[in-house]
Amino acid sequence: MIKYLFKRLLHGLVSLVAVVMIVMILVYSLMDRTLIFSTDPLYSKQLNNNKTVYMYSRWEQYGYLDFVSYADYLNILVKNGELTEDVKALAVKLGRTSDKDSAETKQYSQMFTEYYESMGYKVKRLDAVMLVNKVANGGQPQLFAYKDYSVLSRLASYFTGLFKIDNIHAVEDYPGERRLTFTLYDPVYGGEKLSPAIIGSGTNHRYLFYVDGEFPYIHQNFLTISLGTSFVVNKGIDVFDTMTNTQGSYRLEEQTFPSGLTEMTADNLHSAKYAAGSLDKSAVFAGRFVDDYTDVTTFKQNMSKVGYSFVIGIIATIMAYLLGLPLGIIMAKNKDKLIDKLGTLYIIFIIAVPSLAYIFMFKAIGGAFGLPTTFVMDTASKAMFVLPIISLALPSIANLMKWMRRYMIDQMNSDYVKFARSGGLTESEIFSQHISKNAMIPIVHGIPGSILGAITGAIITERVYVVPGAGNLLTKAINAYDNGVIIGLVMFYALLSIVSIILGDILMSLVDPRISFETKDR
Amino acid sequence: MNDLEKKYNMSEKELFSRIDHDSLESEVITAPRYSYWQSVFKVFFRKKINIVILSLLLFIILFTYIYPAIFPYDADSNLLNGALKHLSPSKAIEANGFALKWILGSGASGQSTFDQMWNGARISISLAFVCAAINMSVGVVLGAVWGFSKKFDMIMTEVYNIIGNIPYILMISVLVMLFTASFGTMVFALTITGWLGIAYFIRTQVIIIRDREYNLASRCLGTSIFTIAIKNILPFMTSVIVTLAATEIPSYISYEVFLSYIGMGMKDMSLGKIIFSAEASMLTPGWQFEFWSPVILTSIITIVLYVVGQNLGDASDPRTHM
Repeated sequence: MIKYLFKRLLHGLVSLVAVVMIVMILVYSLMDRTLIFSTDPLYSKQLNNNKTVYMYSRWEQYGYLDFVSYADYLNILVKNGELTEDVKALAVKLGRTSDKDSAETKQYSQMFTEYYESMGYKVKRLDAVMLVNKVANGGQPQLFAYKDYSVLSRLASYFTGLFKIDNIHAVEDYPGERRLTFTLYDPVYGGEKLSPAIIGSGTNHRYLFYVDGEFPYIHQNFLTISLGTSFVVNKGIDVFDTMTNTQGSYRLEEQTFPSGLTEMTADNLHSAKYAAGSLDKSAVFAGRFVDDYTDVTTFKQNMSKVGYSFVIGIIATIMAYLLGLPLGIIMAKNKDKLIDKLGTLYIIFIIAVPSLAYIFMFKAIGGAFGLPTTFVMDTASKAMFVLPIISLALPSIANLMKWMRRYMIDQMNSDYVKFARSGGLTESEIFSQHISKNAMIPIVHGIPGSILGAITGAIITERVYVVPGAGNLLTKAINAYDNGVIIGLVMFYALLSIVSIILGDILMSLVDPRISFETKDR
Repeated sequence: MNDLEKKYNMSEKELFSRIDHDSLESEVITAPRYSYWQSVFKVFFRKKINIVILSLLLFIILFTYIYPAIFPYDADSNLLNGALKHLSPSKAIEANGFALKWILGSGASGQSTFDQMWNGARISISLAFVCAAINMSVGVVLGAVWGFSKKFDMIMTEVYNIIGNIPYILMISVLVMLFTASFGTMVFALTITGWLGIAYFIRTQVIIIRDREYNLASRCLGTSIFTIAIKNILPFMTSVIVTLAATEIPSYISYEVFLSYIGMGMKDMSLGKIIFSAEASMLTPGWQFEFWSPVILTSIITIVLYVVGQNLGDASDPRTHM
């Protein structure tokens, strides 16, 4: 069993890598990369050579290529001590065309070209764009090198960057002593309340372990997951955080800053990350923080995107199983009678009518009964959850009814049922003890899938009712060409579906002892 | 005897003649004459509801393909006349005089909702039929091979596991971005991976039937795999294939509506695009016809296609022919 599961998991991981690779090819290689500028307001403001440089630097941010400008190269040389500031100041000035360069510029641009061409980069020199006798707006000469990432190197760097382990050597040039301290009295709560925490210095996160009032109450920052950074949908934030961070208006909590100041604040001090030089830059930080661990997230009133999707999805799923299975059994018991025909009509309606159409229908009907048809965060009323849940539950009920009826009827004609009947069992005994147990086996297989599927959210339902859930994230990312988000989400969805199939198989083997993973040959 | 002679107007000799035992004729097996397709239609038309639904389908096809050919649809003819925009049916008939095209009022650019709706239906139904034809034929052929060949099965199952995990929306949107959002691109996007699900379904069915006793017997007698596939298994699959087609065709219409709604559909004014662009009219008093008529038409089309297909699938199962 363990060996089989391990094999399945390994198989799943291989197909996960393959899925991410195919999506990377789709997104990075097949799609026109100039499309990312179609919604970029800064792009249209750039002119001439600056526009070209802007394009390459954006492509670097989006993960298409590696881009090094001539000035960056000189800065590296200065940092390594191979070049003095004075020479750099001379060398960095490019002539209008390459033959008008100064001697220093010629020497170092030659070095730059040779160095990067030897590493497979393409070096591009743009001559100044002239307007009569002066350089046109944005037309300064440019020199840079770039190299497109290959699919394999992109794939490798994606999977190696997926998990980040925080340690005391994470921050370069950390001024103080690098260490971890364990305390039983978390200073954020004034140092009096019993609340264990591990505080790091030299680490990326200040708090590596802490306890607070938010679900799941015990938190750690040793291992962080980064699925892919967003550029448009939620700028600079990782997909995983976009999905799991709380939303809405700020929620204030009494906390004690490192300086000892206690006040009501929305800053989540436990989330503090190192941001070099940030303490001196802001006057607000001065009275509150004592070092550069100032990069904090904020407490918000409401659930995260995944939270909303999951609450709606899980209630709909539970409703579907509680209603769909008994209804399917009743239909099978009364085959070809009125109740079966009504049920079949409902199933046909749900299967045949486009989901968009019936969701709108439910919205109109619900609106007529006075239920809220749009989702507003920051209201105490839970009535806005009703329509999205119903819209999600009704199709799953139809689906479960259909299959439960089908499996029940298949089982009703089998020999063991005839035998049980001839043995004198009552019809209700046969149904509850024999048929439904056997009919449930294939149904059980789908349960983990529908629970985990609730996390991903529903595209149309969430859009129609304006639910701030995770369902629309993928379509938003695709429309905005947000590659990092697309890859991250695909990876996440694929992982969920692989895990749910494996869990379904395990659950099925637990329910039905006849199913065994030990023997494979038939 | 005289009565019989009178009744049939034949002589006694003609009426009664002696027939001898024929050893050759006794070898012939007689059975009631059976034609498969004739029986299919006989069973199909035995249910009265099918005639109603079939005539509804004919009516829809008449309006989607012949009506726009006779009364060409021009979306921009009333573009400059502000007084004709967003009219309710009664007002539209008042303004334009009674014509079939105004019975559902007019839309955002003064176009007739009725005409627009059928024009959109033409695009959506054509898309569904073309996609279903391609996916079904590729899916059935490859599914049969997949079910028979063990080597092919191993490769294809892996391919299925991988492609099944790529979100369909992503695949389609990338393809729509690569090319233009035209009818052809949409067909390509919906068929490039769409056949895989059908092939997988057919594969499972083939595997179930493949090892039945009559096929084992057939193989023992030396029938080639190809003959088994064509003569033994394909007739068994007809009802499965028809039933599958019945769910596939409406599903493409639903899918097209869904894609248009999330802004990834084609440029043509298909039913989905019409619903998407008229969404704001749903809650505006007096404009509701613009939104609900395409929604209801889509539902009617998909239900009719589904029910006809399901009942045809039932009728094409030889076990119902008794």
